[in-house]
Amino acid sequence: METRRLVLVLGGIAVVLVIVLGGLSIAVLGGGSGSGGGNKDKATPETSPLPERVEGELRLVGPDPLTLDPACASDASSAEYIMEIFSGLVTFDKDLKLVPDIAESLPQISDDGTVYTFHLRRGVKFHDGSRQVTADDFKFSMQRSLDPDTLSTVGEVYLDDIVGAKEFASGDTNDVSGIKVVDEYTLEITIDAAKTYFLAKLTYPTAFVVDQREVGDSSCFRDTEWTLKPNGSGPFMLEEWQLGQRIVLTANPAFYLEPKPSLARVTYVLAGGSPLVMYENDEIDITGVGINDIERIRDSSVPLNAEFTETASLDTYYIGFNTQEPPFDDPNVRRAFAMTIDKDVLAEVVLKELVVPAKGVLPPGMPGFSEDLEGIPFDPEGARALLDDAGGPGGLGDISLLSSGRGASVGPIIEAIQAMWEENLGVTVEVDQEEFGLFLQDLDDGNFKMFDLGWVADYVDPQNFLDIKFHSASANNETKYSNPEVDDLLERARTEQEAARLDLYRQAEEKIVEDAAWIPLYHGKSNALIKPYVEGYFTPPFVIPNLRYVSLTTR
Amino acid sequence: MRGLASYIVGRLLWAPVILLAVSLATFALGRFGPGDPIRILQGQYRDPEQQERIAEELGYHDNFFVQYWRYMERAVQGDFGEGLSPRGFQVNDVLFPRLWVTFQYNLLALIIIFAVGIPAGIWAALKQGTWMDPFTIGMLLFPASVPVLVIIPVLQWLFAVQLGWLPSGGWQVHEFYGVEIGILNIHIVLPMLALTLPGSAGVARYMRTQVLQVLDDDYVRTARAKGLREFTVVSRHIARNAMLPLATIMGFALVGLLGGSIFLETLLGIPGVGEYAFNAVFARDYNAIMAIVLLTSTAFILANLLADITYAFIDPRIRLGGGVER
Repeated sequence: METRRLVLVLGGIAVVLVIVLGGLSIAVLGGGSGSGGGNKDKATPETSPLPERVEGELRLVGPDPLTLDPACASDASSAEYIMEIFSGLVTFDKDLKLVPDIAESLPQISDDGTVYTFHLRRGVKFHDGSRQVTADDFKFSMQRSLDPDTLSTVGEVYLDDIVGAKEFASGDTNDVSGIKVVDEYTLEITIDAAKTYFLAKLTYPTAFVVDQREVGDSSCFRDTEWTLKPNGSGPFMLEEWQLGQRIVLTANPAFYLEPKPSLARVTYVLAGGSPLVMYENDEIDITGVGINDIERIRDSSVPLNAEFTETASLDTYYIGFNTQEPPFDDPNVRRAFAMTIDKDVLAEVVLKELVVPAKGVLPPGMPGFSEDLEGIPFDPEGARALLDDAGGPGGLGDISLLSSGRGASVGPIIEAIQAMWEENLGVTVEVDQEEFGLFLQDLDDGNFKMFDLGWVADYVDPQNFLDIKFHSASANNETKYSNPEVDDLLERARTEQEAARLDLYRQAEEKIVEDAAWIPLYHGKSNALIKPYVEGYFTPPFVIPNLRYVSLTTR
Repeated sequence: MRGLASYIVGRLLWAPVILLAVSLATFALGRFGPGDPIRILQGQYRDPEQQERIAEELGYHDNFFVQYWRYMERAVQGDFGEGLSPRGFQVNDVLFPRLWVTFQYNLLALIIIFAVGIPAGIWAALKQGTWMDPFTIGMLLFPASVPVLVIIPVLQWLFAVQLGWLPSGGWQVHEFYGVEIGILNIHIVLPMLALTLPGSAGVARYMRTQVLQVLDDDYVRTARAKGLREFTVVSRHIARNAMLPLATIMGFALVGLLGGSIFLETLLGIPGVGEYAFNAVFARDYNAIMAIVLLTSTAFILANLLADITYAFIDPRIRLGGGVER
């Protein structure tokens, strides 16, 4: 039959196509590995499909940074790279202790607590080795972060305690009077009050030093090409930034702190992918584990289990109320809502112990965190009584929760909380999901009854949580919570020292929790699978330079 | 042929008008729509005064038409301004490499889909009435009915984790005369499976329907009656006529070449345009959004034009002059 020929021809076309495409790729692959280094191929009998690994290279999947300019970084994913490439006066070490960085020691602080004198390490050079870092570079860099022409959204957030910073940032003066170059290696910074948390704010990139010869008059929104090959001073140098594809760091051999970086290279894949699969397929050395895989990894009979680590992170996820508008202007109504959320169920069942339940605002590990804080207990009966006294569920009107998201389901946490309120309080809460831009706008406008959000520490100090979120005059007090007593405690804590200060914060937190401006839900944990040949890697609770502690043993 | 020429010219004259409308609408949606790029950058650190100052500096407060004109003046010269991801880099420098990546893998997928789908469709049609027909189509339909979000993890689990034959994705390039080609190495195999397994069914079914329509036509019977070999009948008479309507599909397929799949690119770690466009919308990255919309609309217009012209060329009735005005 002629149809038989047809089968042969049609089949033939498909076969030829496969052969041609396959042949091409094999030819290219063969050529590729041949030029890469043929010896290794012979050593291993099976040809590996994986890209060849450089000796001493750590391979990671990393977030795609929005900027590598220290003056502009407002997000953790950008800061992660900037922390390794650039450096500042002070930093956090692996035990989260504030330690001198380019400063040779922690600064001398004047008796009134406002003048910080930094002596710089001598001989610290920019990556290209051409020049030493001087006090003048620091003044230039910090002023650049504050300069209105730089258009940074974060310069003021971190540096506005410095005398003259606000005036300079709004364009009224030409110089930040509080930053003074005493001599080549001495820098004097004056702040507006004896704020002990100021030093912690200097560990953020906005206070890092940049090479004034290369930044020119670039802003955060223009002429940022210099960040493709930035001349930093940090433990690693940026070897390559293929936008959206990969970032390659190499060790800075002249780094001035111990331990010096031991990794020869660090390669970040920026284009995403499926990290756990890549990890299991030996394409990367470290990965986080998401909620869908966590049970499998936790199973101790799984080999991967031995490579799994978890550490607490410094953050708090919460539900915030609009405390100025009914029904949530009544603390008892807020308490009733708080008392009907079973946080243990949320943390253990819904989130599979990826988090720990929160009692207060401050996360464990934050100075001032109190083990003794009871928080508002889970007590459905008490809650119903409170709500009945306040007029019962009928008097609440329509209640909605503002949540940020990208159109998928609202997620298991919010669904569980909705169900708890329904069941324990008899209140049906609608969820308004909005994407982040709209969500922020509604928060700014006070256009919400409740919202859910997380707050991650930017520096290790309770001020970063309590003062910023609950002082009645703070721009970031979304709940518009206002308690004169709390304001007073927070203001006194700003300039108080040591233990007395932490005690003030504890008192403030106790009142805030009692007033239920927030329902603190849980604190996150960061986890990682780490290959056995990677030593010294840890997931920090917030972004710090941590790659110089990492080394590789032979695979 | 004169009819065709004037048709093409007419269509080309319409193109700028369409582009003007599209660009104006997109620009207006960005400027008047809710959400503000600077506010989003500030995130949880609110500072209305600073927000105003930066917006002023970036020209967001100028008159809408002034802004539009300023943008379009540069855009028509191929300069789409600075984007936000990463911030301050030229959109061109970020977008074009991504478009090139997406174009490459889509083109390869398109070729494979047609190369598999057309023969499979013809085969199924010729075998109508036997078990081979539903079997062929069914085999192709099976992967097509699984969502890409499911098929990718399954393929990764099978070929990367269990068998260890393939990398789980990624994008490796080789340079040929200065051009970065990413579709000629083993990293492309998994993405291709994910794209072509579900895609081939559509073409095959379409082709099958078309073949069935011409199978009983007079000229096919005549060809057989003339004693032509079955192969000639199928290739010259059946396939050629059945493939005509595929030109229309090709037009849409060509437009799709510049469209990246967010799921595919994210799960497989391919630095294409899909995720970039997705994030640009959420970040209110106006310049990037404009560039993507302008480029894809241009491509859309050109591809449709191309499809129409191709159609005119392969369909003798149109070539004779009558039916071009539609």
